[in-house]
Amino acid sequence: MPESLIAIMDALPYLLQGSMVTLVVVVGAMGLGFALGAPLAVGQVYGHPVLRRFIAVYVWFFRGIPLLVFLFLFYFGLCTAFDINLSAFTVAIIVLGLISSAYQSQIFRGAILSLPEGQLKAARALGMSDLKAISVIILPQALRLSVPGWSNEYSILLKDSAVTYALGVAEIMARAHFVATRTYQQLPLYFAAGVIFLLLTWVGTKGLRMLEEKVRIPGYSTHGL
Amino acid sequence: MAAPILRIENVSKRYGKKDVLKGASPEVNRDLKILIGPSGAGKSTLLQCINFLVKPDEGRIWLDEQEVHYAHKRDLYAYRQKVGMIFQDFNLFDHLNALENVRIGMVRVKGMAKAEAGERAVMELERVGLGDHMQKYPAQLSGGQKQRVSIARALAMDPKVMLLDEPTSALDPELIGEVHAVIRDLGNNGMTMIMATHQIGFASSLASEIVFMEDGRILERGTPDKIFNHAENARTREFCSKITELYGER
Repeated sequence: MPESLIAIMDALPYLLQGSMVTLVVVVGAMGLGFALGAPLAVGQVYGHPVLRRFIAVYVWFFRGIPLLVFLFLFYFGLCTAFDINLSAFTVAIIVLGLISSAYQSQIFRGAILSLPEGQLKAARALGMSDLKAISVIILPQALRLSVPGWSNEYSILLKDSAVTYALGVAEIMARAHFVATRTYQQLPLYFAAGVIFLLLTWVGTKGLRMLEEKVRIPGYSTHGL
Repeated sequence: MAAPILRIENVSKRYGKKDVLKGASPEVNRDLKILIGPSGAGKSTLLQCINFLVKPDEGRIWLDEQEVHYAHKRDLYAYRQKVGMIFQDFNLFDHLNALENVRIGMVRVKGMAKAEAGERAVMELERVGLGDHMQKYPAQLSGGQKQRVSIARALAMDPKVMLLDEPTSALDPELIGEVHAVIRDLGNNGMTMIMATHQIGFASSLASEIVFMEDGRILERGTPDKIFNHAENARTREFCSKITELYGER
C-alpha cells in the first residue's frame, strides 16, 4: 500500500471525530441562525420602522465583516476584555450562528415577501391577530419556501466552519493540519479533508432536498415543468 | 323598519392625495345589497374598509347597533369574526387542505376543539357541495371549488354579515354558476350580504338593493328594477347599459 494511503487510513478515525465536531458546529450555528433569523425576518417585514431599521443595521453588520475577524474579535477580543470564559468551540457556534442569522433572515424575508398579500388579509378577516396570522399562516408557508435557500446556507456554513480552526476548534481542518505537519503527508491529508467536506455537503444538501420534498404542499412541484 | 344589522357612516379613504372613498354610508339590513360600478369606483375599498382590512381615514361603523372601536384590537378581532369576507382571488391558505382551511379559524380564533371544529367544517363543506373534496389542497381545486371552500371557511365562523368582493370575477364562465348557487342559497336562508359584482343578471334576480358607485361615492341606489330600468342619474344609465351589453341578459 502506498505511503499516502496508509497516512490517510491512519488518520481517518481522528479526522472522522473532527467531522463530528464540524457537524455539531454547523448544526448548532444553523439552529441558532434559525432561531434568531426567523424573528428578524418577521420584524423586518412587519415590524415598526424603528425595528426594521435596527434589523437592517444588524444584517449589514454581520454580513459585512469577515468571519475570521469576527472569530478573533469575539474569542481573543471580547472574551479576554470582559473575562468571559467560553471555549473556542462555543465561540465558533455563536459567531457562525450570529452571521448565519443575518443571512437566514434574508432567506426568510424573501420567502415571506413572495407570499401573496391575500394570505395575511384572509387570516385577518377571520379575526386572527397579526401575530397569530404570522405564526399559523405565514411562517408555515414561508419556511417551506426557504428550504432551498437553507440548503445553500448549510453548504456555506459547512465550509466556513473550517475557518474556526484558527481558534483551535478540533474540527476537520485543524486535525488534518495537525497530522499533516507532524507526518509531512500534506497532500493526502488535505485531500482527505477535502473529500470529507465534499461528502458532508452532499449528505446535507441531499437531506435538505428530501426535506423539501417531504414538506411540499400537494399540488405544487419542487421542480420545473 | 328594524334597526340595520350594519350601519356605516361616512367612510372615507385616501391613498396619498387620491380620495378613493368619499363618505360612503350604505345601510345594511337583513338583505343582499349589491355594489356595482366601474373599476376604481371604490367598491372593493368600501368592502375592505367595512372590516378594517383597509383602515378608513374617517367614518364610523355599527354592528347590531354596537359601534366598532377598531383601534381596540380585541374589539376589532371579535368584530371581524362576525363579518365574513370573500375575496375575488379566494385567498385560501395554500398549505392547508380544504377541511383545514375551514377548520383553522374555529380552532385558532374561536378556540374550539379540533374534533368539534372538524365536524362543523365537514358540515359547511357539504353545504357548499364539496363533501368529496375535503382532503384536497387549494392547488388541486378548480376556481369555483376554491371559492366555495372560502365561503365555507367564512360561514364556519357564524358571521352576521358577509362581504363578497367580486366573488366570481376570477372564474371561468362555466364555474360562476356553482358559486352563484351557493350565494343564492345563503340569501334565501336570510344571510345579510354586501357583494360587489359585475354579474348584473344575478344581481337583479337576487338583490334587494343595488348601489351604484363611482369615483368613491354612492351615486344612486334603489331596487334592481329602478337602477337597471329607471335610473335617475345619467351616469348610472350609461354604466348599466354598457354592462348589460357585456354580461348579457338579465
